[in-house]
Amino acid sequence: MTVTSKPMAVIVFIMLFGGISFSSLMGWWATESTKEPVIFTEGEFAGQANPVDIRGSYTFGDIANSFDVTSEILAQAFGISVEDPAAFAVKELEAIYLDSGFEIGTASIRMFVAHYSGLPFDTTGQEIYMPQPATDILLAKENLSPEQIAYLEAHTVTVGESAPAEVPAVNAVPGETSSTTSEEYTIKGKTIFGDLITWGVPQATMEQLIGAPMPDPAMKVKDYASANGLDFETLKTALQAEVDKVKP
Amino acid sequence: MVTLFGKRVRLFRPRTIWIRRVVQWFFFLLIALIAVNHTLAESGAGIPILSSASLHAVCPFGGVETLYTVATSALLVRKVHDSALVLAGIVLLLSILFGPVFCGWVCPLGTVQEWMGKIGRKLFRRRYNHFVPMRLDNVLRYARYGVLIWVLYVTARSGTLIFEAYDPYFALFNFWSTEVAWSALAILGLTLGLSVFVERPWCKYACPYGAVLGITNLFRVFSIKRSETTCKADGACSIMCPMNIPVDSMKVVRDHQCISCLECTSEAICPVAGTVLLTAGGVK
Repeated sequence: MTVTSKPMAVIVFIMLFGGISFSSLMGWWATESTKEPVIFTEGEFAGQANPVDIRGSYTFGDIANSFDVTSEILAQAFGISVEDPAAFAVKELEAIYLDSGFEIGTASIRMFVAHYSGLPFDTTGQEIYMPQPATDILLAKENLSPEQIAYLEAHTVTVGESAPAEVPAVNAVPGETSSTTSEEYTIKGKTIFGDLITWGVPQATMEQLIGAPMPDPAMKVKDYASANGLDFETLKTALQAEVDKVKP
Repeated sequence: MVTLFGKRVRLFRPRTIWIRRVVQWFFFLLIALIAVNHTLAESGAGIPILSSASLHAVCPFGGVETLYTVATSALLVRKVHDSALVLAGIVLLLSILFGPVFCGWVCPLGTVQEWMGKIGRKLFRRRYNHFVPMRLDNVLRYARYGVLIWVLYVTARSGTLIFEAYDPYFALFNFWSTEVAWSALAILGLTLGLSVFVERPWCKYACPYGAVLGITNLFRVFSIKRSETTCKADGACSIMCPMNIPVDSMKVVRDHQCISCLECTSEAICPVAGTVLLTAGGVK
């Protein structure tokens, strides 16, 4: 059986486009990520989403849909000040932290989400850096192993605490502090406990003031007050006093 | 065909497989449109009827690169999508049947190298595609397997498309994007420059996907076969071969570099009908 050029051309088209059509029918053809990470298939975490599969194309909202972490806490952890954190794409992180001298990007998000959600994450052979606010939030969760804490402490970079999404973070040298305006150190209705951690208020102090263990860092102070029968203004004044003590 | 003195004679003989050029143009334009539309879609200005898939989604080599991570963790390498695996499967099947047809008929980087080669042919005529000393050429032909091993190793180790930073194909269709590394642009420039002297230099010496598909030449179902009884031994098939394969010295072309372009066959350069054929059977 001999094949000449014209049948060859037809075969190429039929096999390529026929194959694509067939795979579409079978549900195999996908040119975009589903924005749903794969799940752990075995072990203690079977059935839960695997943070290792978070991709640069995911938004904070996509991550929030699959993991036990909100867009707001991700924005807080990575210093993203945008109107709609849920729409922020992970792949934009690297550009924001480009001048920091450390690669803070998709891998950092994966590790943060894993630690925050209490999911396994292997850092063997990897150098994954984390901005200081993210580390503070993770440490406040108090669910990390000593090894994870040691890794975090060795890979934490102090950067501009409120680096806007469109402006590269500055002073990206470990140990240095950044400039934040006094306006940003003011407790408002949308302030979350994660903000207070980031600003430097000790966890023990906050626990003493609220008279209870530290709540989820993603929780708004105002929501916590109303949920626990506390007067928001009184709590705000007390916390603000602590913020004023530690703000630069 | 006309009949003269009772014999059917072909007055005009095509010297090239013209329909291959048409197919090459089609896939070049298709991929270029998809790449441009992907950029437009990111800014919300994409053309709805066109696919806005990324270049990685429509590159079958991504399917090869991600095989290790799929096998070990059921995960795809970052930026690679299911479609790349599907394409890799289709192209592999096509290659097992007909050899690396993808290289000779579809791959847009191969097409662009051929276009550059036309300049070389005009400039150097018979010297074109014969600049590299044979000994060196024979060794360099295996370099692409080294590139393949390196790409597979670094991709498996990192879980990311490290090769993207060196990939001239990615650079060709993303040169306007900030995603392209200077190293990829430099390799693209070098490839196009060398194409003026050597036919398909990237394919011959460096393409990791060509290395994968080239292996199918050893066991493909339909092969290029030469009839020794009718062959005039004029060497035309070997001269025409873009990959410098000595077709005129072989009964069956099992060379790992064949790209199934059919330019050596009796349909193109070979002047004797039924002498060099792409066939699953034997030849006279």
